[in-house]
Amino acid sequence: MKWLELLTVAGATLVSAVTVVVLYSLGVRLTAIAGDARQASPRSKRYFAYTCFGLCGMAVMFGLYLIIPYFSK
Amino acid sequence: MVALVIGLALFFDFTNGFHDTANAMATPIATGAIKPKTAVTLAAILNLVGAFLSTEVAKTVSGGIIREGSDGVQITPDIIFAGLMGAILWNMITWLKGLPSSSSHALFGGLIGAAIAGIGFNSVNLETLLQKVILPAIFAPLIAGLVAYLCTRLAYALTSRHDPETGSKLTQKRGGFRTGQIFTSSLVALAHGTNDAQKTMGIITLVLISAGTQSPGSGPQFWVIAACALAIAVGTYAGGWRIIRTMGSGLTEVKPAQGFAAETSTASAILASSHLGFALSTTQVASGSVIGSGMGRKGTTVRWNMVGRIALGWLFTLPAAGVVGALTALLVKTGVVGVVIAAVAGTAAVLFMFAYSRKSAVGHHNAVEVEEAGQAVRFSKKKAFARARAKANQHKDVQR
Repeated sequence: MKWLELLTVAGATLVSAVTVVVLYSLGVRLTAIAGDARQASPRSKRYFAYTCFGLCGMAVMFGLYLIIPYFSK
Repeated sequence: MVALVIGLALFFDFTNGFHDTANAMATPIATGAIKPKTAVTLAAILNLVGAFLSTEVAKTVSGGIIREGSDGVQITPDIIFAGLMGAILWNMITWLKGLPSSSSHALFGGLIGAAIAGIGFNSVNLETLLQKVILPAIFAPLIAGLVAYLCTRLAYALTSRHDPETGSKLTQKRGGFRTGQIFTSSLVALAHGTNDAQKTMGIITLVLISAGTQSPGSGPQFWVIAACALAIAVGTYAGGWRIIRTMGSGLTEVKPAQGFAAETSTASAILASSHLGFALSTTQVASGSVIGSGMGRKGTTVRWNMVGRIALGWLFTLPAAGVVGALTALLVKTGVVGVVIAAVAGTAAVLFMFAYSRKSAVGHHNAVEVEEAGQAVRFSKKKAFARARAKANQHKDVQR
């Protein structure tokens, strides 16, 4: 049986999905805070939000890079 | 015969794309993130791209479930013809019922049935069958469901906003997830292309090898790749609206954050599994994710009787496609007349199901009712937001 492979797939799924979701959620959250009118420092929050979205996008790109055989050769 | 089988294989590819549009695009359509027509177009393009990206899976198709090669039995185009017939008919039936079922299972089932009827019971490798089909079928929805559940909880926990002073709920502003859904669903469509178009390529290559026009052990030829990519893209564009309805609103109500979590889990599960070699079915992963995300949000109900119907459909996929495959194999064995009868009967059955589906047409216009609501929200977004904000402020003032 390939229990180890199954575990690897489960683990990889969990790690990658949680990474993307956490980063994106943080981005959404920070955008929301930055959108609030009466916040002390909306500017920096907005930059943080963009950073989160950027990191999220990079995580996805890295995943694709790992998967597409053309790059990994 | 070879030409007939190739045609049939391409038609199977078409039904495959058609059947699986829902996996990628049901949730964004349900939340109104993408308009239905745009969604299927996007999915079709990404399937096309995905099919060209990787042909690793194509080289290992049917993966030893049927003992092929020098020491086993020789797979003939006849067997493949019969197997494809079983797979296509089962795909059409499940589409008519609106059930998301695995196209790969239908294909495996058809081939297994055809091999048993055409060659004998010892032609099937039971251990590989258990390892490659049955166990993944149990674990795919479990893994995807669990991950989607966790992701949904996380997404909601991270974005829930409360007023620090009063503790009352602020406007949650989760609209960002709707944009995110466009990307995640695209990723699912891409993953689907890298996975499912490969199966047909593998089948056609197998036929060409067995007919002696291609040397054994070589990869798919370019025209095969192109034809399969096109067939799956056209199928995706045609859109299985019935299944989209089931996945988008039949299982549970889907909100943008939920859809985002579900699609992320689906995409990661498919990509991880196809990369690490434990093949999971796209459909089963996607259904599991939708159910899991439904359980993850408070105040949502999962329609368990629909889940039960789908699970029943999964149970029947392998044997039902197998029976059709076996019957076709028996017919084909009798000679040319048998092949003609099988081809005509198959075409007639497909046409009948198309005609039957016309009675209660489900198209992009009525696939998901939520979609209209989504559009309505989009039109009056600013107004709605302003109203919500005003309400919140009023609320605060009252409390102060």
